[in-house]
Amino acid sequence: MAETPAKNIDFVFNPASVAVVGATRTPGTVPHDIFQNILRAGFQGVVYPVSPRSPSISGVKAYKYILDIPDPVDLAVIVFPSSVCHMAMEQCGQKGVKAVIVISAGFREVGPAGLERELQLKEIAARYGMSVVGPNCLGAINTDPAVRLDASFARKTPAQGSIAFLSQSGALCTAVLDYARGKHIGFSKFISFGNKLDISEVDLFYYLAHDDATSVILVYLEEIRDGEALVKAARTVIHETGKPILAIKSGRTSAGASAAASHTGSLAGSDEVCDAVFRQAGIVRCSTIEDMFNRAIALAYQPRPSSNRVAIITNAGGPGVMAADACMDHKLELARFSEETSSALKDKLPATANMKNPVDVIGDARSDRYHAALSACLADPAVAGAMVILTPQSMTDIDDIAGEIVRTASAFPQKPVYTSFMGEADVATGIDILQRAHVPHYALPESMAVAFATAYSFEERLKTEPMPVPRFEDVDRRRVSDILQQALADGQAYLPEVEATQVLEAYGIPVLPARVAATAEQAAEAAAQVGFPVALKIYSPDVVHKFDAGGVVLNVKDGPAAARAFEQILASVRRAVPGAHIKGVNVQRMAPAGREVILGMKRDPAFGPVVMFGLGGTFVEVFRDVAFRAVPFDTQSVRSMVREVKSYPILAGVRGGPSYDVAMIEQCIERLGQLVLDFPQIAELDVNPVIVLEAGRGAVAADARIGLAPEGAATRAGQSAGPL
Amino acid sequence: MERKEIETRVKQTIARVLDIDPAEIEKESNFVFDLGADSRQSVELVAAFEEEFDVEMDEDQALSVQSVGDAVNFIAGLVKA
Repeated sequence: MAETPAKNIDFVFNPASVAVVGATRTPGTVPHDIFQNILRAGFQGVVYPVSPRSPSISGVKAYKYILDIPDPVDLAVIVFPSSVCHMAMEQCGQKGVKAVIVISAGFREVGPAGLERELQLKEIAARYGMSVVGPNCLGAINTDPAVRLDASFARKTPAQGSIAFLSQSGALCTAVLDYARGKHIGFSKFISFGNKLDISEVDLFYYLAHDDATSVILVYLEEIRDGEALVKAARTVIHETGKPILAIKSGRTSAGASAAASHTGSLAGSDEVCDAVFRQAGIVRCSTIEDMFNRAIALAYQPRPSSNRVAIITNAGGPGVMAADACMDHKLELARFSEETSSALKDKLPATANMKNPVDVIGDARSDRYHAALSACLADPAVAGAMVILTPQSMTDIDDIAGEIVRTASAFPQKPVYTSFMGEADVATGIDILQRAHVPHYALPESMAVAFATAYSFEERLKTEPMPVPRFEDVDRRRVSDILQQALADGQAYLPEVEATQVLEAYGIPVLPARVAATAEQAAEAAAQVGFPVALKIYSPDVVHKFDAGGVVLNVKDGPAAARAFEQILASVRRAVPGAHIKGVNVQRMAPAGREVILGMKRDPAFGPVVMFGLGGTFVEVFRDVAFRAVPFDTQSVRSMVREVKSYPILAGVRGGPSYDVAMIEQCIERLGQLVLDFPQIAELDVNPVIVLEAGRGAVAADARIGLAPEGAATRAGQSAGPL
Repeated sequence: MERKEIETRVKQTIARVLDIDPAEIEKESNFVFDLGADSRQSVELVAAFEEEFDVEMDEDQALSVQSVGDAVNFIAGLVKA
């Protein structure tokens, strides 16, 4: 029995021989068209049709079974109906095929019977050590002239390029291919991986990391099965090879957002989490196919800018301003020209032109003025790249200008040039010139800014080294373990405030002094011990929303008031939550004045534990001003998380107001990350509010709640080798 | 009806529908994988068996009959009953 090998993906893209198993003579069918595509693309290896009925397909000798082929076969493309794919797969295994693409539909996507068929294929493939793409996919394409493999039923084979495209949707692939063809965008590798029975986007990331023909990776995903593996693979590719990964993840629904009792659960929808985790890992998430390719061509065709300072050249004032506005929106700066540049512009441009940035060469500009302006700007050391806008006036020599831009750009190979020839009909031939020369073109100036900003921020990202995950030794694991074990043994689904704050305290997160009181007298004593003023809160595993149940009294200033508050709380809660098991009342020192923030954690089905931070405390679901990071994370990641929320400036100090202890908040987040990694029994967690005091004076958790999952049933804690 | 006769008539039916030599049809031949039936022919085979043997197959039964052996077993079972 063959051992399961490392994935033989190279045999998918670089096979010496391919067998199309189930090929037919009927034009317009998938089995026929795939074989035709292999021939038409000019495959450089040997291709064998396997057909039970026909002695030949398209003039090529056919074999009844793959086992009848006298020579080795590297790659099999199975196009039989799903009901017999297992028979084909078995013969492929016996033949010694290394990789199989199963084009056929009719597997897990059609329901349980289909899933059973798919698992049968998986078992056969594993038994023979074959790697599998699909099922239910379009196929795979390699445009390398030494290979020229088009094992797909796409309409046309794409041109060669340096962009790799991976897709979970086969039908989307054909639309993408046609879209790209219209824009003269080529591909290095193109693959639809369908149901991901075996080879997934994770495997393909690792493969493409070492593919010299690929400089940018695009991926379309509908489903993420192993988010942690995906992120780890992406980090490896991005940081070790410098290849950007751009992704569309569809399915932007709130289905993943829990309606649970926790704030974190209700705020951490699957899409918000995916957004955050992708950003954390360096994956550029795109909203549409057009958006994806707009950014991809900037990354694939042009050098990345060394700074965010851009020069805009335009023959129309309005679009120039629009481009400038878009640059501001995307944190780009308009470069301030040197004296030399300004002189060169004055020298070459008419007096009515605008020599400052954006440079307006004015409406009657022809190619000479564009050349002068663009070369002067690109020669300026302060300019990292240029955006060139054209609108078609009667005298505008569109094609000449396009040609001039191409020539001038090639004279400055270290600086990116993006273009926007605004319009549709008259500018078409000019756009064609730009696209064929791989000078990125965008329909609108705003898209240039997005592309430039994407390229710049990727460049900056590559400069940051991942830091180690902070690990605190001054934690009491035993205490936490005991608390959780006891709660689970008692059948509790969550830890109320008393135990939850004890857990936080054990991991070094500051909490307010508190004591539990079982009687009114004890409440008065406890209040005196912890220090007035105090808050009294019901202590019951059955009361989720303490305020709503009348279970909270704040600002109690003396012993008698504490005793009265105790009685009042018990009476209210007994009315509001009849039958609740009441363990007592928690007497807690009132929180000092400060800013309210929230910390939380939930275990995302795809990405594992995800920590949330936001301002707003009890109003967090109104403001929804929160940021997420997947665990484990490094200090840099935590710092960026805190600064990501819109209201961060309030913490930093604004309008003469005080600044708050951001460093303590960051430490609390790091400790929380360690806590949830160490204890998979913690399914969900809210620390709300955390009161942040002024800078240097710390922070304190005023309330907390922990949702539990029995050990082993919890989704696994982050096991990644490194930080995100 | 003897099983042997059923098998012979099944093979003749298949040969007629798929336009192949009955000698190419083996006892366990799968209509699609071994004999090259396409989706239209798979449906035609079911109809041909129904007519040849004066039987009726519902959708599930039709899906389960994928080979010569499946057809012989199914028809033999009906005939016995």
